[in-house]
Amino acid sequence: MTPSERSDPGIGTRASALTQPMFHRVLNAHPMIVRDTLQDVRQRFRGEVGDDTLGRLELVLAEVMNNVAEHAPLSQAEQARLPVIHLCIVRHSSGLACALTDDGVSLPDDCLLPRSLPPMVADDLPEGGFGWFLIQDLTQALCYYREESRNYLAFSIPFAQMEVDA
Amino acid sequence: MQFIVEDAESHLNITVTEPRIDAAIATLFKDKLREIVVKNRKPVHMDMAAVDFMDSSGLGAMIAVRKSLPENLALVLFALTPNVERVFRLTRMDSVFDIQPRTSQSRTAQPRTAQKEQRE
Repeated sequence: MTPSERSDPGIGTRASALTQPMFHRVLNAHPMIVRDTLQDVRQRFRGEVGDDTLGRLELVLAEVMNNVAEHAPLSQAEQARLPVIHLCIVRHSSGLACALTDDGVSLPDDCLLPRSLPPMVADDLPEGGFGWFLIQDLTQALCYYREESRNYLAFSIPFAQMEVDA
Repeated sequence: MQFIVEDAESHLNITVTEPRIDAAIATLFKDKLREIVVKNRKPVHMDMAAVDFMDSSGLGAMIAVRKSLPENLALVLFALTPNVERVFRLTRMDSVFDIQPRTSQSRTAQPRTAQKEQRE
């Protein structure tokens, strides 16, 4: 445990009183490590939240973390070091609150602007450009800021209506 | 990367055995599958029942495979699991692919996995 882990944002003091299940991990931004982490997240919340919510959580986290991995700096000096992601998920009464920070490249502004699907051209279908659309579509209260060398991204994955009523 | 490929005369049956089509394998998945479908030049029936998870890079790979087939040759997807179906639906790509509920084999029809939320 490094001291920086303890100051990870995203957990309000109010929530801690409710002792909700949570997940916290510091990982290198690499697709295989992202994959392993997602499987651990699934394991952690299985039985705690419904399958549909878990599926939406896993998809959003995959998109966010693989973006960090994909846009890792490739300059000679930094090649040896992958960006480091801090991931924190806490269950709240209405959904799963997620906070991610990373020391990868800055997020382009247009990722956070309202997005639509890439244009569907019948004979030349888009093969990419879906990631941020999915993130925006499946999250609530999505916010982002950059401070010095780190990106901070926070959002909530709402429970399905049936889970909230239960 | 493993697929089970079976030539059924009129079309090709491909069973995907990877549990996850994600950023870790999307490029390899696309390259292998494209090679198979281009070589055979037949309509393709893909059994997706074993795929638990697919992200946008996996979707991109599927679209690339669709594009590698001439438009008159069908690419039919069978037995999507809920997490995979969600990605096709949210991106409207369910209108581009022919998506069928059952597996392509002549197995008895099984109801799709219930998408109902568990109560807590």
